[in-house]
Amino acid sequence: MTTRIIEAYIGEYASGKSEVAINRALDLLQKGSPVTLVDLDIVEPFYTIRPLKKELEEKGLQVIGWETSETKGLGEAGNLLKPGMKWALRQKGDIVLDIGYGVEGAKTLNLVEEKENHPELKIYAVINIGRPITSDKEGIINYVQGLGPVHGLINNSHLGDETDVAFIEEGAQIVSEAANVLGLKVIATTIDYRLQDKFGTQDSLGNPIRLLYRYMDRSFW
Amino acid sequence: MTDKPVKGVKRFFVTGNEVVAWAALAAEADIMYGYPITPQNEIMHYWTRLAPKYGRKFLQTEDEISAGFTTCGGVLSGARAFTATAGPGNTLMQEAMSMAEMMSIPTVVAVMQRGGPSTATVIYSQQEVTMTCFGGNGEGLRIVYSTGSHQELYDYTIKAFNTAWKYRIPTFILGDGYQAKMREPVIMYDPAEKGINMVPTEKILGAPGMPGVDRDPQHLQNTYNTEEELYEVVNQLVERYWKAAPEIVEHEEFQCQDAETIIVAHGVVTRAAQAAVDELRAQGKKVGHFRPITLRPFPKEAMKKAIQNAKEIIVVESAQGQLDKIVKSEIYEAKVPITGYFRPGMGITAEEIVEFINQRG
Amino acid sequence: MALVPNMPQVWRQETKPHKFCPGCGHGLVLKTLGECIDELGIQDRVIFGCDIGCSLLSYDFFNVDTVQTHHGRTTPVLTGIKRARPDRICIAYMGDGGGYAIGSQHLVNAASRNEKITVLLANNCNYGMTGGQMAPTTLPGMKTETSPYGRDVEQTGNPTQGPEMVAAITPENAYVARGTIANLRQLKRMIKKALETQINGVGFSFVEALSACPTNWRTNAKDTWHFVEKEMTQYFKVGEKKVPPEKEEQ
Repeated sequence: MTTRIIEAYIGEYASGKSEVAINRALDLLQKGSPVTLVDLDIVEPFYTIRPLKKELEEKGLQVIGWETSETKGLGEAGNLLKPGMKWALRQKGDIVLDIGYGVEGAKTLNLVEEKENHPELKIYAVINIGRPITSDKEGIINYVQGLGPVHGLINNSHLGDETDVAFIEEGAQIVSEAANVLGLKVIATTIDYRLQDKFGTQDSLGNPIRLLYRYMDRSFW
Repeated sequence: MTDKPVKGVKRFFVTGNEVVAWAALAAEADIMYGYPITPQNEIMHYWTRLAPKYGRKFLQTEDEISAGFTTCGGVLSGARAFTATAGPGNTLMQEAMSMAEMMSIPTVVAVMQRGGPSTATVIYSQQEVTMTCFGGNGEGLRIVYSTGSHQELYDYTIKAFNTAWKYRIPTFILGDGYQAKMREPVIMYDPAEKGINMVPTEKILGAPGMPGVDRDPQHLQNTYNTEEELYEVVNQLVERYWKAAPEIVEHEEFQCQDAETIIVAHGVVTRAAQAAVDELRAQGKKVGHFRPITLRPFPKEAMKKAIQNAKEIIVVESAQGQLDKIVKSEIYEAKVPITGYFRPGMGITAEEIVEFINQRG
Repeated sequence: MALVPNMPQVWRQETKPHKFCPGCGHGLVLKTLGECIDELGIQDRVIFGCDIGCSLLSYDFFNVDTVQTHHGRTTPVLTGIKRARPDRICIAYMGDGGGYAIGSQHLVNAASRNEKITVLLANNCNYGMTGGQMAPTTLPGMKTETSPYGRDVEQTGNPTQGPEMVAAITPENAYVARGTIANLRQLKRMIKKALETQINGVGFSFVEALSACPTNWRTNAKDTWHFVEKEMTQYFKVGEKKVPPEKEEQ
C-alpha cells in the first residue's frame, strides 16, 4: 500500500505557487484516487484559485476554497478562512495545499488542524529566479530559511511568455546550488507544456521535469 | 555604504506594485509614507521589506490625510519622498496635494485606481482621472503620467521623481488595480546605467546656515490676504506650469496618419486599443489610436495633429467619460465628432472595441 | 429534530451562518450585542452603523436598520443621525484601524462633545481586511505585512490605549470600558451599560472588545486563545474605565 500524498506549496509572492499546486493536483488525479486542492491563499485576493473552482471541480478535483458569489467586498473585507480549510487534512486521498505568501511564511499552515497526525505532510517552496528577492543563491537561501520547515524546493523559474530553455536551466542551476546549501532536494523543475519537446524527463542537473498547463492566467478575480 | 538595490540591467517577473517599490528604490527615494488600502498594499509590503536593507525609511500613518501631509513634510525637508494610494485614499490625499500645488512641493504619489464612487470595489477602474488631475480646491497644477505596462510603471516612477523635482510640481503615477496585480516580465535597471541622473533634491526647509544671519529664513505660506495678492500668486503658478508643459507632455500614436477613426484611450486600455487597431486594419478599416501618456498637462498639440484627417474620435475608458471630458475641452476647435465607449469600473478588451466600432458601421 | 443554535432574536437568520472566518471574534461580539438589544427591547429604535474592514461584514447581520459607511467615518455618520433623531439608539461598530487610526479624530471629538451614541470597537491587533498590516494596536515585536521585522515601538509607538484615552477626555457621565471575548458575561454587562448610558441620555459610551483574528495571526484554536487571554492583556487591561454616577432615586 502506498502512503497518500499531502503536499503544501509555499513561496514568494507571484512565485507561481497556485499554478504548480493546481497542476500537481491534476497530475495526482491520474492515479485514480481522490484528490483535494485547498486554497489557503489569505493575503492575495487577486490571483487565486477562486475563479477556477468550478472548472477544476468538473475535472474531478475536490476544491476547498471560496467561490466569488459567496464572498463580499473582496480585498476590502479581508480574505476569509473557510471552515473546511481548517479540517482539510480529514479528506480522503491525496491533498495539495496552496499557501499564500506573507511575512509569516509557513505559519499559515497553523490554521490547518491535526497536522501532527499526518507526518506525510511535505512542504515545498516554489522558487522562480525571475523574482527579484530569489534571483540568486544567497537570496533563495535567506528566503527559504525564513519560511519555517521546508522539505524541498521546486524550480519554477520563468519569465511568463518570455521564458526560454536557458532561463529554466539557469534556474535549475541556481536553485540546485541553494538546495545543496540548505540540505534540501530539488523536487522538480516545472516547465510550460509548450516547451516539453525541448526537455526529456529531467533537466540538465537530473531534476525531474513537471509539465505545467496554465490555468492562473484566466483567474484574475 | 549600502549596496545599490538595482545593479546593472536585469529582467524580472513581477507584479506592478512591486515594480513601483523597486523603481522608487532605484530612483534613490529616501522615505515612503503610507496607509493600507487595496490594491496598492504590496507597494508598502515590498518597500517595508526592502527599505531597511538599503538604508531607506518608512512610516505607516494613521490615514491618507496624514500620509499626504507627511509626504509634503518629507519633501520640504529635502527628502525624495513618496506615497501610494487608491480610491477613497486618493480622495483623502487631495487636501495635501492641494497644498503641494499651492506651495510647489514636489511630491510623488503612485495611484492604483479602484472602482468608485465611495468604497466600491478594490479591483480596477479609470475613475480617478478627474480627481488625480484636478482634485482639491485649485487649478490642476499637477503632472499625471498614465502608465500602461509594468515597464512603464518602472520607467515613469523613476521619471516622476525627476519631473517633480525639476519643475517643483506635484507628480502622480496613475496606474490601476490590474497593473498593480498583474504579473509581467520587466527590465529593471540602475538609472545611471541608462544615463538617467536623479535630479538633486533641495532642503526647502532646514537648509544649512543660520536663518536671518547666513541666509534668509524660509517663511512658507499658503494663505493670502486680498484677492489681488492671491491672484498674483496663482498667476505665477499657472504661468510657470504652462511654460513647463511643452517639455512635460508625452503621448503615443498608432497608425493615426491616414486614420478616419481614431480611438483615444489611456493607461492599461491602450493595450486593448492597440490590438483593436491591428484587428480593424486587417479588416481594411482606417483606424488609428492616440494615447495621451500625460493626462495633465494634456498633449493637446500632438493630438490636434494626429486627428487632422480623422472623421471621428472614439474615447474608450473604464469610467463614465472622465477622459472624454478632458479630450473635449482640449480639442474643442477641432470639430471632429466624438463618441464615447464608457465602461465605469470594468475592464475593456480589444474584441469589445472592435465590436463597438463595427456595429457603428 | 434539528438542533437550532441559540441565536439572539435580533439576529437576521437569513444571513446566517455569518461571513466571518472560523474563530473570528466579530461573531462573539455581535452575538453579545444582539443579546443586549434583545434584553433592552430596543430593536425598533436601533440604528446600526458599520465601518470598512472586516466589521463591514455585519452590514446585514441584524434585523435593524443599518448603514455601512467609509473607513473611520462611522462615528460621525451615527453622530449625525443621533443629532437629527435623538430618539434613535445609535451604535457605531468598527475595528481598531477604523477607530484608532483613520477615524481617531472622530472618536476623540465625539467623546469630547459627549455625543449620546455608543461606539463598539473590536480590537484584533491588525488590519484584517487588507491582508494583515500593522494597526495602532499591534503588539510590540508582532510581525505584520507592514512590520515584517516585528513592530518596533521606537519607530511606531506603543499599542494605542483606546478606552484609557476616551476615559480621559469624556465628562464624568460617560461610560467607557474594555471587555474581551474571553469573558462574554462581563462583555455583555459592559455593552448593556453602554447602551443604557445612551438610552438614559446621559452621555457618550464606548466599549472596546479584545477580539481574535486567527487568520492573520496564523494561529490554531489553542494559540488564538492564548494570544487573547495572555498576550493582549499584557498591554490592554480589561475592566471599566469610567462609569456614570448612579442616578438618585426620586
